[in-house]
Amino acid sequence: MVFDRVEVKGLVKVYGATRALGGVDATFRAGQVTVIEGPNGSGKSTLLNILAQLVRPSRGEVRYGDTGVRRGSELRSAIGILAHAAMTYPDLSARENLALFARLYEIEHAAKVIDGLVERFEIGRWGERPARTYSRGQLQRLALARALMHSPQLLLLDEPSTGLDVRGVERLVVTVEAERERGAIVVLITHDPELAERLADSVLPLDRGKVAPS
Amino acid sequence: MLRGTWAILEKELRVEIRTKEILVTAGLFGLLVTVLTSLAFFLDDATARRLAPGVLWVGASFAGVLAMGRSWAREREADAIRGLLLAPVPRAAIYLGKMLGTWVFVMAIDFVLLPVVAILFRVELGEELLSAAVILVLGMTGYVAMGTLFAAMSVRTRARDLMLSVVLFPLSSPGLVAGVVATREVLGGAPLGETLEWLRILLAFDLVAIVSGLVLFEPLMSD
Ligand SMILES: Nc1ncnc2c1ncn2[C@@H]1O[C@H](COP(=O)(O)OP(=O)(O)OP(=O)(O)O)[C@@H](O)[C@H]1O
Ligand SMILES: [Mg+2]
Repeated sequence: MVFDRVEVKGLVKVYGATRALGGVDATFRAGQVTVIEGPNGSGKSTLLNILAQLVRPSRGEVRYGDTGVRRGSELRSAIGILAHAAMTYPDLSARENLALFARLYEIEHAAKVIDGLVERFEIGRWGERPARTYSRGQLQRLALARALMHSPQLLLLDEPSTGLDVRGVERLVVTVEAERERGAIVVLITHDPELAERLADSVLPLDRGKVAPS
Repeated sequence: MLRGTWAILEKELRVEIRTKEILVTAGLFGLLVTVLTSLAFFLDDATARRLAPGVLWVGASFAGVLAMGRSWAREREADAIRGLLLAPVPRAAIYLGKMLGTWVFVMAIDFVLLPVVAILFRVELGEELLSAAVILVLGMTGYVAMGTLFAAMSVRTRARDLMLSVVLFPLSSPGLVAGVVATREVLGGAPLGETLEWLRILLAFDLVAIVSGLVLFEPLMSD
């Protein structure tokens, strides 16, 4: 499924007494990296999870492309997300995790795709061990590979540089640039001003659940 | 749909073969229940034989509820369940894969419990035991189907294990009661054919449980 933009209108998310999002309007475009910035608790992850359909908004809507609300498997296959948690199985190795999700995403030539990811994220011998044993950065690289493996049209990255070493961050930059080149809609959350500077085509500043005037 | 189910089932088996966690914890728990009751209630052979069906089903359902809880605890770790829910497979396929995985584990445990109960409670190892096995498989299938649905919901609630037991036991009581009664009849010497009424109830219970699981999983898992 290809859509060239994702629009959110009047997005509100309330958790009990907490107002995580208080009416957000924004547009995310294909071939662009939109960086969401803001202090802790400003609603960045909430917005990303709503874009991924992991969280349902209390009010407002998300539109994928020009047609109305799209739902279901077809839409899900066009979304890739790197969230705070790795969303992988700790008892399976990196390769086994990737193979499982390759099957769920019905990826063709899965073995080749996985080899490519293993090379791209430099998943070395440690990738044979269960994911439970990985270091922070190793797990993050697996989670990144998982999010990217089906070349999603909408790529959502929540603090992707967490735990990565200098080399890992460079690899991340190259990867995100390649995804942008491919025409993906990239939404990236980061607290790293340098990374934001290098990658952002546009910036969405959030503050206490609202778009801050910049 | 079936490709997703198969991928998830294979994952369940692979993880269990590696960790053996569910088989060991739930299996040992089931054995403990049966051995303890055999010690607590040991009388003469005839009385023991009459206790066997109840002990078998209590052991099997306790082990089952433990297995379901563990199976979904695995999904909560590292938030893997969200990865599954995000994947472009029908939600019913996820339910079916998880259910079949748990079913395999529960069956493996039950086929250990059955002969153990038979020996502890002086049941003859013959045709009656085979009939009891058929009834146990029928009853536990619906029980697992129903339990998987509620165990899945426990991913979202805080009082997970409590809520699973509190909801599951009353809702599956038709199946459990039919199972115990049918088992008592066949161990009392009745041929399987004479328990047809109970078997029918068990089949209906299985069907209702599986269909409601397939239908209700999607609305219950999306918030
Ligand atoms: N499940 C939840 N229940 C209750 N409150 C929540 C829940 N999820 C998020 N919140 C609250 O909503 C607000 C926004 O959270 P969110 O995770 O979107 O922030 P964030 O901008 O990603 O912060 P950070 O930079 O720390 O990751 C916070 O006040 C948070 O405590
Ligand atoms: Mg966050």
